[in-house]
Amino acid sequence: MDGLSSFLSALIGIVTSTALIDVLWATLLGIVVGMMPGLTATLGVALMTTLTFQMEAERAILILVCMYVGAIYGGSRSAILLNIPGTPANAATSLDGFPLARAGKAGSAMAIATTGSVVGSMIGMVALALIAPLLAEFALSFGAYEFFWLAVFGVLVAGQLTALDDPIKGWLAGFLGLFVAMIGQEGIHAVPRFAYGSTDLAGGIGLLPAMVGAFGFAEILTVMRHEAYEVVRSKVDSVWSGVRQAWGYKMTALRSGLIGTFMGLVPGVGEDMGSWASYAAARQTSKNGSAFGKGSVEGLLAAETGNNAAVPGALIPVLTLAVPGSAPAAVLLAAMIIHGIRPGPLIMVEFPDFVFSVVAMVFAATLAMGALGLLLTRPLLLVLRVPRERLMPIVFVLCTVGAFAIASRTFDVGVMIVFGVLGFLLRELNYPMAPLILGIVLGDILDKNLRRGLVLSDGDLTPFFTRPISAVLWLTALVFIVLTMPGVRRIFTKLTGRWEKTS
Amino acid sequence: MSAPAPRSSMDRLDFFSSILLTAFGVAVLVESLRLPRLENLKVNPYTVPGLVPGLLGVAIAACGLVILLRSILRGGWRAGGDAMDWRRSAAVRRTLVTLALTLVYALVLFPLVPFRIATPLFVFVFIVSTEAMMEGRRPGLRAMVTAALVALATGLVVGYVFQHLFFVRLPGG
Repeated sequence: MDGLSSFLSALIGIVTSTALIDVLWATLLGIVVGMMPGLTATLGVALMTTLTFQMEAERAILILVCMYVGAIYGGSRSAILLNIPGTPANAATSLDGFPLARAGKAGSAMAIATTGSVVGSMIGMVALALIAPLLAEFALSFGAYEFFWLAVFGVLVAGQLTALDDPIKGWLAGFLGLFVAMIGQEGIHAVPRFAYGSTDLAGGIGLLPAMVGAFGFAEILTVMRHEAYEVVRSKVDSVWSGVRQAWGYKMTALRSGLIGTFMGLVPGVGEDMGSWASYAAARQTSKNGSAFGKGSVEGLLAAETGNNAAVPGALIPVLTLAVPGSAPAAVLLAAMIIHGIRPGPLIMVEFPDFVFSVVAMVFAATLAMGALGLLLTRPLLLVLRVPRERLMPIVFVLCTVGAFAIASRTFDVGVMIVFGVLGFLLRELNYPMAPLILGIVLGDILDKNLRRGLVLSDGDLTPFFTRPISAVLWLTALVFIVLTMPGVRRIFTKLTGRWEKTS
Repeated sequence: MSAPAPRSSMDRLDFFSSILLTAFGVAVLVESLRLPRLENLKVNPYTVPGLVPGLLGVAIAACGLVILLRSILRGGWRAGGDAMDWRRSAAVRRTLVTLALTLVYALVLFPLVPFRIATPLFVFVFIVSTEAMMEGRRPGLRAMVTAALVALATGLVVGYVFQHLFFVRLPGG
């Protein structure tokens, strides 16, 4: 009941103040950012963090949550209209959204995507309200051994899931991220590592300039490398029939919402996998699976429900374990720390109302997203007519000034450039970016807790493997990794195929 | 967003990049071993600063080595003809022009030249040169005027927001 009253008072606070205006403009800006191919949710949240760091904490986090929710949804527009996912989380959306648009049902497709996004976000929000306080309480029993495994688990699982065809590249990206976190003064003896006499390097690599580089500058280079997209000229039919069609697949939406939330919860995996996993499950269970990829309403609904459900899902580990569920959530985590909020197991003790304030923020952002998405269907099409040659230099100016503004250091502009070029090259080589960023966030947790754990056990590795929660974490990571390895997956598929034939 | 490269050219790219990554992992390990062990302070040997970076160096080198061996087994080490196409392609030219313009702005203009001059200059040159590359000819007067207006507006609005609303002292005077 305490939680419900905290949620209601936070919601009333948002609805009855100027915060409502913040909700509307930030969600709309999020939708616009998400719509534009080349501008991702991570970039939007990172740039917005640099624009809001002088605001009071609650207002800044509200704006960032709205930007996050709006951007993941906004990406569906370009996926449907241009066959180009606005953000990587909308890749599955284009499979059925674009064929629907080509068949003259762009309005319906956008309405189906909007309905799915709202439902997904609401399911994730309920999960956030229910699971976060329990997980925080459970995490109070975590010690050095458990936090060490949590960091290892996060990097390995994120590496695995974001590079399913080539997990070694995913792990390598994660290890590189962990190494980046090692640069600068370490947290136990204050010895500068890999600083080579530079005071800037001794201060460590800032997460925000690195993310602005890896997701902003790298994306600018990627966008400019590719051919220009065609300007949208398609006609838009009525949106309301789409809402009715989506209602016919209630169970698909519910299942996709739950899958998306779970994928959001897994460290570093996030919205992309939320969408793909929901899409795959819907295809497998659908009575009309053959229509998937050819304009299936159910497929579009599943993909969009899954990715937006992952948004609140990704906030659960952010708030309770200080471990991000996705790349944009990693920026949000950094923003919370900048604003003096300390996410982690103590959050329900130190900031008991904050978790429910975030739930209210997600709720307000979801309502704004639904209303703006349905009401501004046609005006929002204008966004897709902005040529990239005019947009990208403005984005780069914002990346540069944003990286500089956080600490007023030109060094951070250099960090942004280095991570941009590195991110671009790694992407071209098919290395995923999410584990790299997760590695930067988790590096300090892994480093301190491995060494603390070894001191506590006097160099004995046994407690790392035998303590119950530690054992669950490393065994789960091991089983998961072995099962999803391409070779093992092939054997598993063969065996299950044989079993199905004989039965 | 980016379409994956064909398997053979990716093996070739993997071959060269994995050599670099393996060397980087080894360098991290060597540098970690050189970090102070604080024996004079009698710190617990399990808390030495180089422990975790050293392990990461091993992990990076090991993954790099696996990718290297795999690319060798797939014949990625052999020189392929597609490298030349890659160098000649319009995509690479666009990427290099973008990279050059952005580097000049971020590393030279932004720190040294006043923001309200540096930013419009960068935005204008970026729009005009990339539009010229896309269309294969010099942009017309209308396109130039549009580019100038976008450039001026960007300099004024971004400069005003950061300097006067967020009180950020931008470099370059």
